[in-house]
Amino acid sequence: MSTVRLDRISKLYGTTVAVDDFELEVADGEFVTLLGPSGCGKTTTLRMIAGLVEPSGGRILFDDQDVTWLPPRKRNIGFVFQTPALFPHLSVADNIAFGLSVKGEKKDAIATRVEEMLAMVGLKGYGARLPAQLSGGQQQRVALARVLATDPRVLLFDEPLSALDKNLRDTLKYSILDLQRRTGKTAIYVTHDQSEAFAISDRIVVMNNGRIEQIGTQTDIYLQPETPYVAEFIGANNGLRGTVAGRDGDGDDAGWLIEALGHTIRGAARPGLSVGQSVVAYVRPEDIEIVEDGDGAKFANVLDGTIDRVIFEGATAQVRVDIGGREIRVDVSGNERLTLMRRDGTVRLGFDPVTVIPAAEQVAAS
Amino acid sequence: MSAATTPLPRTAPAQAPRRFSRRRLGELSAHIYVWIVLFVFVLPFLTLLGYSLTGPGGTYAVQNFQYVLGSFGDNLRQSFLVAALTLAINLLIALPGAYAIVRYQFPGKRTLYSLVTLPLYVPGAVIGISLVLVYNFTYHLTTSIWGLVFAMAVGTFPLMLSPIVVAMKDLPIAFEEAAACLGATRLQTFWRIVFPLIGPGVSAGLMLTFIIVFNEYLVTLFVHPPNVTTAPLRVFNLVRTAGLAPTTAALAVTMQLISFGAILVFFRVFGTRYLKGTYLI
Repeated sequence: MSTVRLDRISKLYGTTVAVDDFELEVADGEFVTLLGPSGCGKTTTLRMIAGLVEPSGGRILFDDQDVTWLPPRKRNIGFVFQTPALFPHLSVADNIAFGLSVKGEKKDAIATRVEEMLAMVGLKGYGARLPAQLSGGQQQRVALARVLATDPRVLLFDEPLSALDKNLRDTLKYSILDLQRRTGKTAIYVTHDQSEAFAISDRIVVMNNGRIEQIGTQTDIYLQPETPYVAEFIGANNGLRGTVAGRDGDGDDAGWLIEALGHTIRGAARPGLSVGQSVVAYVRPEDIEIVEDGDGAKFANVLDGTIDRVIFEGATAQVRVDIGGREIRVDVSGNERLTLMRRDGTVRLGFDPVTVIPAAEQVAAS
Repeated sequence: MSAATTPLPRTAPAQAPRRFSRRRLGELSAHIYVWIVLFVFVLPFLTLLGYSLTGPGGTYAVQNFQYVLGSFGDNLRQSFLVAALTLAINLLIALPGAYAIVRYQFPGKRTLYSLVTLPLYVPGAVIGISLVLVYNFTYHLTTSIWGLVFAMAVGTFPLMLSPIVVAMKDLPIAFEEAAACLGATRLQTFWRIVFPLIGPGVSAGLMLTFIIVFNEYLVTLFVHPPNVTTAPLRVFNLVRTAGLAPTTAALAVTMQLISFGAILVFFRVFGTRYLKGTYLI
């Protein structure tokens, strides 16, 4: 158990920057997830923490011990790979025993520890099997037991669930969290799947192009995206292009008025904006409501549009609403999603100012 | 398909089987191929076997095989010694060599790999003559069993290296990384993880090298020292000086059986895994 500090680490492949000036502090026992699209540098960062990739610059510290140039075997880490990477010629028990056996532990001590680990991951009695005789989910649990057996200081996960089917992913992610909580180990987890990241993390690091876009809790990232990238990457989001028309009240905590879609939309307070500036105002599909009764006076923002189409997705339905030529996505759930199936024509949308997040439009944003 | 499923309606009426449909031709050529294989490879061996058991006047005679355990035993022992030394040298160089070729980037890698496979394309007689010249006239070495072993080692090195390289290429690096993260040293990782997993590739190399070295007589003819006569060289000499005697045939049959034995053992232990070179099927 230890803290992890990444002190401005970077990685260059030739002239390509894979990771750029990455700074992060992970507290003892904390579960931090690196979230981003493929190629954003999250796996490279994780592999630098493990020592499988040498950084081009910066320092990596475990508990104030500089491990930047230590080989992986001296770092005392537990790395869970995308594939379980169980040694196929060794039994489940021998796989779990491997880390202890290479350190020269006594045979009976190893046997006890292996039994303990098998019980911990719920695979008692599977010790004599070969990895090929286990299902994908069982293999990944053995991989977990194998790293936990060595009592590592830090647990590192490189998309450990991406090769499994959805139901298994859902149960196994909570098993991982449960094991991490029970052992109290510091964990750094890499994934491109937001629901996974949201379900298990204490904090999330959103990455893009080798850089950190935002570090924060689920609600920070979801409700207060700091960059347009985070706003667009986390969840589906409606981005409304417009300009800042003025302030909605007095003082620094007053919201902004944004001219977009031919309306003046009342948005949330955000620092660093000025009147006349080009912005994108983000409104999440699940924060918009369809006003069925009355005139929608309880909403600060009311927009009228026509329903383009309704996409029924089971638990929810997506409604695509055309407002002045711009398509707005609205997600509805509950009974409403069923009645909407038989509706078309005009519709009134309502949403609150706090759900409208204006962000300065980046000229060169991709 | 289960019987319960309704068969799709046939769009065309079933045709009467033609005499030379494509399928029939395929079966026929497969049969012909098997018969050619039997005729070319198995029949001569059976003839040799029969001849080796023929006594004077067409009687049945096992005593032709008495020399196998007698003077020919020494030749077999020398053959086994040469083969064992060659295998040991080749394996010691090929294991780290294959690892380096697959896992590391270094300039001239492809050229080096092509160069070490070169001996495969050089005729045995050419290797023999050039080695005699090099050993005798360049370095003034007295011929010894080591001269023979090194000649064999150089000639068969690609047979050992290639299957191991193929096996290494098939081995995902995640196993080595997992071992390293679990605290294993490079040496522990190699012997406990990499080596067992490329085992079928290593054994394929061992088998190929053994069969070639064990049966090689041409290069041996050039570079063997006077006191060393390997089994195939003995058979060759006997055929040259005494003609085809049933006793010589008995020696040839023995050699053939040893080669068969090596292949049988190999397939029993590794099955079809050698095709891929690793246990990862």
